[in-house]
Amino acid sequence: MFLHERGHVKSKSLSVLAVASAAALFLAGCASTEGETTTPAATETTTTTTTEAAGSLLDSVIAAGSVRCGTRDALPGFAVLNDAGEHVGFDSDFCRVIAAAVLGDATAVEMIDLETADRFTALQSGAIDVLVRNTTWTATRDGSEGANFLQPTFYDGQGMMVTSDSGYNTIAAMDGAIICVAKGTTTEGNAALESSRLGLDWEIRSFDETDLILEAFLAGQCDGWSSDVSQLTGLRSAYPNGSEALTILPEVFSKEPLAPAVLDGDTAWAQAVNWAILATIQAEEFGITSANVDSIRDTTEDVGILRFLGAEVPGSDGAAVLDPNLSLPTDFAYQVVKQVGNYGEIFARHLTPLGLDRGLNSLWNAGGILYAPPYR
Amino acid sequence: MSPQLSTPSKVPFYRDIRTLKWALQVLALLAVFALLYWLYGNYQENVAKSSIQTDLRFLDNPANFTIPGNDLDQSQPVRDAFVEGFLNTLRVAFIGVALATILGTLIGIARLSKNFMVRTLGTVYVELVRNLPLLLLLTFMNLAVVLQAFPRIENAWLPLDLFVVSNRGIAIPWFIGSPAQLGIGILSAALIAFVVARVRIRQADKSGKQDRAWLFGIITFLVLVVLIWLLFGYGWELPYVDGRGTTGGLRLDPSFFALVASLVIYTSSHIAEIVRGSILAVSRGQGEAADAIALTGSQKMRLIILPQAFRIAMPALGNQYLNLIKNSSLGATISYFELTQIAQITVGNGSPAVPAFSLTLLVYLAISLVTSLIVNFFNRRLALVER
Repeated sequence: MFLHERGHVKSKSLSVLAVASAAALFLAGCASTEGETTTPAATETTTTTTTEAAGSLLDSVIAAGSVRCGTRDALPGFAVLNDAGEHVGFDSDFCRVIAAAVLGDATAVEMIDLETADRFTALQSGAIDVLVRNTTWTATRDGSEGANFLQPTFYDGQGMMVTSDSGYNTIAAMDGAIICVAKGTTTEGNAALESSRLGLDWEIRSFDETDLILEAFLAGQCDGWSSDVSQLTGLRSAYPNGSEALTILPEVFSKEPLAPAVLDGDTAWAQAVNWAILATIQAEEFGITSANVDSIRDTTEDVGILRFLGAEVPGSDGAAVLDPNLSLPTDFAYQVVKQVGNYGEIFARHLTPLGLDRGLNSLWNAGGILYAPPYR
Repeated sequence: MSPQLSTPSKVPFYRDIRTLKWALQVLALLAVFALLYWLYGNYQENVAKSSIQTDLRFLDNPANFTIPGNDLDQSQPVRDAFVEGFLNTLRVAFIGVALATILGTLIGIARLSKNFMVRTLGTVYVELVRNLPLLLLLTFMNLAVVLQAFPRIENAWLPLDLFVVSNRGIAIPWFIGSPAQLGIGILSAALIAFVVARVRIRQADKSGKQDRAWLFGIITFLVLVVLIWLLFGYGWELPYVDGRGTTGGLRLDPSFFALVASLVIYTSSHIAEIVRGSILAVSRGQGEAADAIALTGSQKMRLIILPQAFRIAMPALGNQYLNLIKNSSLGATISYFELTQIAQITVGNGSPAVPAFSLTLLVYLAISLVTSLIVNFFNRRLALVER
C-alpha cells in the first residue's frame, strides 16, 4: 500500500510538471514574439531581406513546373469535380490562368481542395502557392492572416435563399428566423450584423460543409440559407427543380469582393498572379478571345494590342517586344487568352449557365467595375 | 580447461548492456527534442514571412459572430465567445457524465440479470454500440434522427402539451424567476437533506434499526424544494409553437440533444462493461454472506455488492469520464457551439490559428486534469485502507 501511494504521488507530480512545461513553452512563444513586435521596423527589414534571399515563390513555382492552387471541389459554377476527376469552374479556370501566365501551360496546376476553415492556414504554411477559393477580401484577413489579396475575380454580395413555399419575400419579414451559414466565413458576421441592424433576432447556425447546410435546410431546420449570391445561385442550380423550389430574396446586404490571395511579403509572386488575372480583363476590353487571338496577333496594327500580346512592336529603331519586368514571359497574356480565354469567356463558360448576370462584373465601359491598369 | 575461459574478460563499455540502454534513451530523447526544435523553427520562419500574430491579443478583437441560444453580441470580444464555448462544453460534460453513469450502471446490472430477455437486450446494446465509431454515431444521430426522424416545426410533436419536439430543438417547461436564487435554494435544501441523512445514520447505529437514510434525505429535500418554490412564488412556463419557432420554457438546441444523446449512448456501453466486470470482481462470499443474513435481492445489490463494485470501478470510470469530456469536441462537426467550434469559427474569421488552438488545447488539458483530480479524490476516499 505504501508503495502504491508513492507511485500515485509521483504520477500526479509528473502530470503537473507536464502542464507546467506546456504552459511555459506556450508563454515562451508569446514572450519571444512580443519582443520582436516591439521593434517592427527592424523585423520588417530583416524579413524582407530573408524572403528576397530565400527567393520568391515565383522562382520555386517555375522550378517545380506547376502551380499549387488552393481550391474546393463542390461549389457548382466555381469549382466542382467532373466525372473525369478534373476541377471545372470559374475559380478553377483562374488557377489555370495563373499557370498559363507563369509557366505557359494552363494544365500545369495542382488543384488542392481545402476546407473553408483551413484555407488561410494552408496559405500561411506554404502548402499552396495561391488561394483561389471564392474568398472575400477583408481588412482583417489582409492584416492578420498574412494574406495579400489581389485583383478581385468576382464582385459578389451576400444574400438569402429560402424555400419558395416558406412565404418569405423579403429579408425584413424573417423575424426570429434560423439562418444557416458556412463556418469560418464572412457570412457569419454579415448575417449577425444584418440581424441586429434590422432588429430581427436571427439564430445563426454555422456548419462545416455546404452538404450539411443543405441537409439542415431541406429538413426544415433552417428558415434561410445565407451566403454570397453567386454561391446560392450555384447551389440552387445543382438542386433538382431548384429554380422553382428555392427563391433567392432580392436584398444583397454586404460587399464581397472575391479575390485570389498569396502570402504577404512576396511582391514578385503577387505581381505575377495579379497581372495574370488582369490580362483576362484587358483581353476582353480589347475584344481578344481564345478563338481570335492568333489572327489578331498576326493582323492587328494596334500598338497597344501588340504590346499586350508580347508581339514585336515596330519602332523608330527596329521592332521590339515590351518587357515590363514582371518576371513573366513576355507573351504571358497571349498564353492566358489562347489557353483559357478572356474574362467574359470564363464567365460565360461557368457562371452564365447558372443564371448569373454580369452586373458589377462587367467591364468599366459596360456599366461594371472591372478595370485593368494599362499594359505599357 | 584453460584459465582464460573460466575468468570472464571485462566487457568493453560499448558492449555493456547498461551503457547501451542509457545511450539509446539519451539518443531517443535528443531525437524528440530535435524534432520539436525543428518544428518550432519552421513555425517561427513561417510566421516571420508574414504578419501573423503569435500572441493572445486576438482575444480582445470583436467576435463578429453570434451563438445560438445565447445573448452574446457580435461586438463582444472573442474572449467572451471562448468563455461561452467553455460553458457549453461543461454543460455537455456534466449532463453527459451523469446520464452515462446512470444508464451504464443499469445496463451493466442488466447484463448479469437472471432474466433471459433483460440479459440479452443488455448484451445486444453493449455489443452494438461499443463497436461503432463515435463520429459515425454522432453524424447518424444528427442527420438521420434529429433532422429526419423528428417532425418539422409545422407539425411539431407535443407530448402531454408540456414539451415541443421538432427538428429545431426540444423545448421543455422551465421556471420563471432568478436561476441563481433558485440554485442557492436547491443547494441549501440538498445540504439540509444531507445533514438529516447523517443524523439518521448515527441514530440507527445506536438503536440498531435500519437507517433508511436515503429515504429520509430525499423526502426532506423534496419537501424543502416545494416549500421554497411556494414561498418565493416561482411559476412554470410552458413552451408553445410560435410561428416557426417556440416561445416560453427552455429550448434545448437540436445539436445539443444529438451530441449528449450520442455521447451518453456511446460512453454508457463502455461503462456497462466496467460495472459488469466490477460486480463480478466482488468476491462471491460477500453475496453469499448477504444471502445468509436474509437480505433481499435489492438490499444485497444496494448495500453489499454495488458499494464494493464501485470501489473497483472508480479508476476505469474516471477514464470514461475523461473520454466523454474530450469527445464532446466532436460537437463541432454538427454545429454545436462548444469550445472547438468556437475556436474554428474565430480562426476562420481572422484569429491566428496557432495561438487560438494552443489556448483551446490548454483549456481542454485543464478540464481533464481537474476531472482527474476529482476522480482521484473519490478513489482515495473509496479505496480500502490496508495495513
